[in-house]
Order: sequence, then C-alpha cells, then structure tokens
Amino acid sequence: MAIIQAHSVSRHVETNAGQLQILSPIDLRIEKGEAVAIVGASGSGKSTLLALLAGLDLPSTGHVTVDNVNLSDLDEEERAILRGDKIGFIFQSFLLIQSLTALENVMLPAELAGASNPEEQATELLQKVGLGDRLDHYPNQLSGGEQQRVAIARAFIGQPAILFADEPTGNLDSGTGAKVEDLLFELNREFGTTLVMVTHDERLAAKCDRILKIDSGKLVEQKHAA
Amino acid sequence: MRPNRWQWTKISWRLLRHELSRGELTVMAAAVALAVTAVLSLSLFSERLQGGLMARSAEFLAADRVLRSRSEIDDGWLERAEEEGLRSARRTTFNSMVFAEEQLALADIKAVSDGFPLRGALEVADEPFVTGVVTHSLPSSGEAWVHSGLFQQLPLSLGSTIEVGDAEFVVTKVLTHEPDAGFNVFTDSPTVLIPYTDLAATGLIQPGSRVSFHYLFAGEPADIARYENWLLPQLDDVTQRWQGIQDGDSPLSAALTRAERFMLLASLLGVVLAATAVAVAAQRYCQRNYDAVAIMKTLGGTRGQVRRIFTVHLLLLTGFSIVAGLLLGYALQAGVVWYVSSALGYELPAASGSPWFLATATGLLCALMFSLYPLLRLMRIPPLRVLRRELDASDLARSLHWIISGGTVYGLMVLYSRSWLLSAALFAGGILAMFLLLGISRLFIRASRQAGMQAGSSWRLAMAGMQRRSRENSLQMLSFSTAVMLFLLVLALRNELLEDWQNQLPDDAPNYFVVNVAGEQVDAMTQMFERENIRSTDLYPIIPGRLMAINDTPVRDAVSKEERDDTNVREGFGRELQLTWRRDLPPENVLTAGRWFDGDEPGVSVESQVAERIRVGLGDRLTFRVGADEFTVPVVNIREVDWNTMQPNFYMIFNPSSLEGVPATYISSFYLPPERRSELYQLFRDFPQASLIDVDDIIQQVRSVIGHVSMAITFVMVLVILAGGLVLVAQVQATLEEREQELVILRTLGARSGLLAKAVTYEFIVLGALAGLIATIAMELTIFILQTQVFNMPATLHWRFWVFGPLIGASIVALLGWMTTRRLMIQRTAELIRGLA
Repeated sequence: MAIIQAHSVSRHVETNAGQLQILSPIDLRIEKGEAVAIVGASGSGKSTLLALLAGLDLPSTGHVTVDNVNLSDLDEEERAILRGDKIGFIFQSFLLIQSLTALENVMLPAELAGASNPEEQATELLQKVGLGDRLDHYPNQLSGGEQQRVAIARAFIGQPAILFADEPTGNLDSGTGAKVEDLLFELNREFGTTLVMVTHDERLAAKCDRILKIDSGKLVEQKHAA
Repeated sequence: MRPNRWQWTKISWRLLRHELSRGELTVMAAAVALAVTAVLSLSLFSERLQGGLMARSAEFLAADRVLRSRSEIDDGWLERAEEEGLRSARRTTFNSMVFAEEQLALADIKAVSDGFPLRGALEVADEPFVTGVVTHSLPSSGEAWVHSGLFQQLPLSLGSTIEVGDAEFVVTKVLTHEPDAGFNVFTDSPTVLIPYTDLAATGLIQPGSRVSFHYLFAGEPADIARYENWLLPQLDDVTQRWQGIQDGDSPLSAALTRAERFMLLASLLGVVLAATAVAVAAQRYCQRNYDAVAIMKTLGGTRGQVRRIFTVHLLLLTGFSIVAGLLLGYALQAGVVWYVSSALGYELPAASGSPWFLATATGLLCALMFSLYPLLRLMRIPPLRVLRRELDASDLARSLHWIISGGTVYGLMVLYSRSWLLSAALFAGGILAMFLLLGISRLFIRASRQAGMQAGSSWRLAMAGMQRRSRENSLQMLSFSTAVMLFLLVLALRNELLEDWQNQLPDDAPNYFVVNVAGEQVDAMTQMFERENIRSTDLYPIIPGRLMAINDTPVRDAVSKEERDDTNVREGFGRELQLTWRRDLPPENVLTAGRWFDGDEPGVSVESQVAERIRVGLGDRLTFRVGADEFTVPVVNIREVDWNTMQPNFYMIFNPSSLEGVPATYISSFYLPPERRSELYQLFRDFPQASLIDVDDIIQQVRSVIGHVSMAITFVMVLVILAGGLVLVAQVQATLEEREQELVILRTLGARSGLLAKAVTYEFIVLGALAGLIATIAMELTIFILQTQVFNMPATLHWRFWVFGPLIGASIVALLGWMTTRRLMIQRTAELIRGLA
C-alpha cells in the first residue's frame, strides 16, 4: 500500500532571469515500510524533492499525498499537525535546539503533540541509542555522532509512519557514520517505519530497498537494491 | 491530542531557564532591567529630592504659597482655604520709623499672626550678631523681636522699649534668622517682629499708607492646586500677586529649574539608551530563535503553538527582568537617598506610587514593543529553513519595524517627560541626527577603507571587513555614536552646570550687603574696607525713581486706573525703581547691544530682560521721575546681568552726567569670613545710618541645595553611562554571529589567531574612534542648542572632548569587541565549524 505518492510534482522559482526549473514533473510511489534512497549530485534537486514529499514546501505543479491526504489541500497549520502525527526528521546538521538538553530535545515533538508521558518515552529512546547517561547534556557538550543519535531518538519518539533523513551521516566521520547508519536502520526495522533518505553516499543508499537517482531536477533512474 | 496551556508554559519556562543560566539572554534581560532600574530610581529619587527641595525652598516663602496684596483681602478667601484643608497665616509689612530713647531708625515692621512661619522656623538669640536658636513661639502682645541691625542703629538692649507709631513694645529677643528674609536688599531695613493683634494699636495702617498684606498658605499639593484653581481667576493682577517658590524671585529658582531640566533630559536620554539596548537585544533574541522555530514547526508545532511558546517565553523574561529592575532600582535609589539625606541633614519625603507604575510600564513597553516586529518575523519563519538555512521571514515590511520602534520611543518620552512638545522636539531632532550620523558614518567608512589599503595586513583585513559590512557597520556606528554622544553630552552638561553654579557662588561670594550709606561716608567706608582687608564691591549710589513714559507715551502705572484698560498704554514696572549711575560697565554685566556711554552724553543703560519686557530698544527715549523732577534720556545700550551673583545689580544705569548731584544713598556687598562675624558691630559703629543685611544663610542654603543637586546629576550620569555601555555590548554581540562565520573561514584557511585578533580589534578601534569623533561633533551641536535654548546659559566649546571623544569611543568599543570575540579566537576551529553547522 502506497504511503507517499507524488503526481507530476514539479518546483520552479521566479528569478530576475525568468523562471528557474528546480524539479521537473516527477511521479513517484513509496510503499509503506519501504526504505528509499534519493541520490544525486549537489544541486540536483534531491533536497527539494524531500521537502515536497515531507510537506515542508508545496509543489509548483502536481500534488503529493501522504497516507492518502493531499498535502496541497492542507494549510500550513494542518501540514504541521500532519508532520507531527506521521513524520520524523533527521538532518545533516542535526538541528537540535541548542538551549534544550538532550532529553528535552527528544521530548519536544511528543510535547507539541500533547503526548501523556513524553519524558519516559524520551528517556527510553535515549537509552536505546546509547545516551542514557547523557540526558542532561546540551548539544554543544555532545560530539557530532552523539548529537545525531539524539536527533534519531527525537525522530522516533512519535513513532512516525515515515522518517525523512537528509544526509544523516554527511557531517560525521566514516566510523561514527557507520554506527549511526546501523542505529537508524535498526530502529527503522523495529518501528516498521517508511524511510526516505537523501544521500550521495552510494554505500549508504545501497542499504535501502530502492534507489531514486535525480539529475538536474529530473528523476533519471529507479532501481531496486541488490 | 494537542497540549494544554500548561505544557506550553512548561516548554517556555524550560527554554527561559536554560537560556538564562547559559547567559544567552543576559543582554536582553539586563537591558530591560536597566530601563526599569533607571526609570524607577530616577523618578523615585527626583520625586523625593524635589519634595525635599520644595519643602526647603518653601522656607524662603515661609509657606507653600503667598498671596501679596496692596489691600486686605476678603476673610472669605481665608475661610475657603481652611475648607480646602490649607493652613494659613497673615504677615503685614511696612516701613516705619522706630524710636528708642529719642533716637530713630527706619525699620521693616512685620506683624505676623499665629502659626507664622508655616514653613521653616525663626531663630532668636539674647544678644545681637550671634548665631541664634530655633524657636516655635512668637512675641506676645506688647513684645517685639528685633533684628541685630537695629541694635547698631539705636541704643537698644533686651528689655528696652521701642515706639512703633502709637504703640510701645518691649524688646524681648534678638531676631537672628527669618526664613522669609528675602533677597531684595533695597527694601530691607532691620526687621521688627510684632504680633498681628498689636498691629491696629500702632495706628499706622491708614488708607493710602504703603503696606503689603501677605497671606501665607501651606498644605498638601492637591489641596493647594484646588485652592489655586478657585482663587486665581479672582485676583486683580495689578494689586495682587500669587507667589510660589519657583516664581523667579528666589535665588534658588534658576538653579532648581536648570537642575530639573537637566535631570529630565538626562533621564530621558538614559531611558532612550536603555530602550535602544532592548531593541538591539530583542532583535538578536529573535534571530537566535529562528532555527528553534523552524525545528518546532518541522516537528509538528503549529504557528499558534510556536506563538504561544515564544510569547509566554518573552512575557516570563520581561516579568523576570522587570522584577529584577524594580528591586535593583529601589535599592539604588534608597542608597542614594540615604547618602543625600545624611549630607543634607534632613529626611527626604517618601515618593508616590507613580514611579513604580512608570517603571513597570517602561519595562513592558520596551520589552514587548521592541520585540514585536522581531517576534512577528520569528513566527513567520518557514519550516523549510531546516533545509534551506538562508530562509528567514524577510517578506515582512521593515517599515513596520521603524514605525513600531519610533512610536514606542516617542511614547516612552511622553510617558516620562509628560510633555508632547518636548518629546516631539527631541524625537524630531533625534531622527534628523540619526540620518546625518548614518550619512557621515558611511562616508567615514569609505574613506577609512581607502586609507587602510596603504597599511599592514591586519589593518588591511580590518578595513576590508569594515567595507564589506558597510551597511551593518554604519548602523552599528550609528548606535555606537549615539551611545558615546549621549554619554559625552551628559558629562559635558554636568560639568557646565556645576561650573556655572560654582562660578556664581565662589567660596568668597559676598555674604553681607550694606545699604543706606550716606554720600559723605562713601570714602570713609571704602577706606574701612581696605584697612580691614575686606573684599567688597564698589559702592553704588541708589536713587528711587519711576519710569513715567517711553517715547513720550505714558506707561501703565503712570496713568489713571480708567486709562489702564486702554490697550495703547505701554507696560511699565508697576513699582518704584532703584536707579544708579556709573562711569563704567559693572563687572558681571555684558553689553548685548549699543556701546557704553561716551563722555558726558545723557543716556541710560537698560537690563536686557527688562528691555524685552517693556519693549524698548536702542535710541528709545525713557522719561523718569526722581523726586519732583522729570527728565528724558535715550537708551544707549542694553546689558545682560547675572542676577545670581551676590553683588548690587540694577535694571537702569545712567551716565553720571544724567543723575549726578541728585541726593542718593549708597549700597555695597562684601565678604566677611564667618569667624570675623563678631567684628561686624565694631566695624560699622562709625556708620550708624547704614544697615547691614546678612545673606550668609541664603548663600549656605543655596550652596547646600546645589551641592546635592550635583549629586543627583552625577547619579543620573552614572545611569546614562551604564545604559550607553549596555547598548554597546548589545550591539557588539549582535554582530558577533556575522563575524563568526567569516572568522571560521579565515581560521580554516590558516590565518593565525594573532592576525585575526588584531584585525578584529583594529576594526573595532576604527569604528569606535570614528563613532567618538562623530559623537563629539553631534554633542557640540546639541549642547549649543541646549545651552542657548533650554538652559539659558552662554554657549561654550569643549575642546577637551575632541580628544576625549574619539579616544573613549575607540577604547570602549575595542575593549568590548575584543572581550566578546575573544571566545572565538581561543576556540578550536573544529568546534567553531560544528557550532556553525
């Protein structure tokens, strides 16, 4: 069953020199529980596609449905609520709130969603990612790998149906990156989450079920991992 | 399920707690707290000081208000005062001959009713010319208390009998101090204080006699205001005059008015500076939270949730800062009041609740209004910022920001000064100055870039940095300049005021006046002064006379009552004038128009304020009556007189040829050190007709008030310096983040910390020095306007500040810049990169 569908989704912006096509119309279908990697060179349009699929931005033409809800029919508030209910995020630059501790960063999405026991859930998840003893540390007191583990714990706290990851190991050295990858895939399996990951690391992409290759805003290749 | 309100508060509180403890909100909290502290301490202090000064000053009147009348007033007016809750007393004064043992002397008879004086106290002694003790009683019926001066003129001792008109009085005390002794040396003969109930028995109050009926009132300000509203419309402006302490007769009033204006102006500047710090800090506060908002929105936070979280956050921060500011402000004010009270020797009265309201309102206005636009922008941050870091809410019109901020600053000014007009003038001046400063800043930045190109590598890097951020830098320079300028302005004005006061009342300012000196004794007295080594002014002749006509048109007081209503009648003096003649311009007088008398030409020199009031200029012909003779002379020059000096001053000075030969008495003032006071009797024994007037008390009172007003001014200055410093810190911090990225790149590329530290420091030195220079220019212009338009002082240039301004700007800004960027210099590059990621 498709959890995300893109129908002729394109994105352009107006510039002084006229219209600039960032993403040409793309049709796409991602099944529930599937792990999909979006690969391509820098500036190819991968992150733009991710933003459209996650409802962070709206397409210029076409539409995206998430769990059969057309994102273009929702206003910004409704899209935020949908993200809170169904979507988790992991970013290359971790994007933790600097003035909150590790525990509080993880609790935040659950609190925004009005969950009843955010602190217990967050503690449990941080223990699961190996940071049970770093609950009260601020982001700047953690290493890059540790910060990304906090971000992973935060992404899973609402038990989202879909997880979007934007270059999740891009800022980490290879050793740390590998550990973070393992953790990510392990949790993904455990929670049965659909994973949509932007990366230009082909080795990481190969761990996914399917690889979509974008070049100059066009979807040029779709292949299933070996 | 969405979270309830407590959960939002919890998130807000958590953010606030961490940010406060991590020092991220220090500048914002300090800026709001300082604004509150400044307003509270200043308004509490100035209200209490003013209350104290008014109370002291009221002693010069012996009341809060005095109604002077040429005839007795309706008893109903006094009854009405009582109904309004005011206390009242009567004081009737007139000059009369006093007889003792067949000798006579002119005295100032003062008949007072019970309760006199309503403010201040009389002092009496048992022998003349000694320091007396305070008394709260009055002479009983048949008794008189007599001023020391009369003991010199009549063969008197305690227990002697004097005759005043038809009545006899026994002298029971020497009157050494009257709070209402006044300052008009021409009318002061020695006082004879008698009970009001004995006045009729003297038989001296007849129709046509020159008697002043004074009605004294004292009470709560609100009661007085109510009574004033009722009374003033009923007064006859020719024969009756309502007087308060600030009505100009008191030697204190000029000092007080200036001090009050200075305090108001300086505190206004302090509040504006603190508000500027809040504005800069608020912008940075919101910018810091751009990412947090984008993350929250990405993670499912709705706009409403984000709005509530940050509004509550801001309110909590504001509340916290206001409470801190109130506590600090109260403590500061209590300390200063304690110091001032102990120096003044009396308690200052308590203040009303309005300073607390004013301070809280200032804190709320500052924090909320200046944060409004940044907060609106914050709410509009799109979630997409998590992927595209360059996105912010730049679509929100910036003009909105200027309108809100400008409106708030103006609102604060009005709230504080309670004057739409003063605020509008300052505000418009400020805006104009801002644009000028902005233009000059850009020019300077461009010029320094060219100069920097010739210099070494650190300098080149510094100048390149300045040029690259020229827009930000000129804004930054604007706030640096404003802060330095206001600081210099307050410093310079304070020095000016203090110096001005100091000059008026040097330590050896004359403390006695001698009047009624006979013409034939002038030489003897001059010799006596020289022989006894007493510093005195010249002896000036005095001739009583009246101004009758200007250019042959009779003046108002020279015509009949019916003719007064004729609008063509010119304004005169309404009273007799003390005329003098002199061959040269008296010291402390400055010619403002015309020239001094040439040879024996007939002519008169007119004091400038009088010339303005009666609308006469050079060449106008004035007709005077002296005794039975009338004569007309042209106005040859206009003179400015410093009325605050303790020397005989005159409205009209004639060329000797115009008046010489007319019988006159002479006046002089001199300084006698307090330890020589006991010699007075001996010194003036040979001049029995002359009267001595002791103004030492008044000088001491003025000095003490001025001394403590100076303290108040210094206190205001310290607060303004703090506020200015905070603006600088906030501004330097705000630019830190822009610099961070650039420094990281340069460090990564291998630039040594030493080179970077120098480059940053040099950039700040140049910025600071330029800001200091601009500030000095702006300060000179502002102070010129203030001196000539607000404080009525002569304009001066402040050369010291031309060196001091740039130096202070460079050192403060460089120091602050170095302190805040030092963190970046000592951090490892890897950490910095991570911080920026």
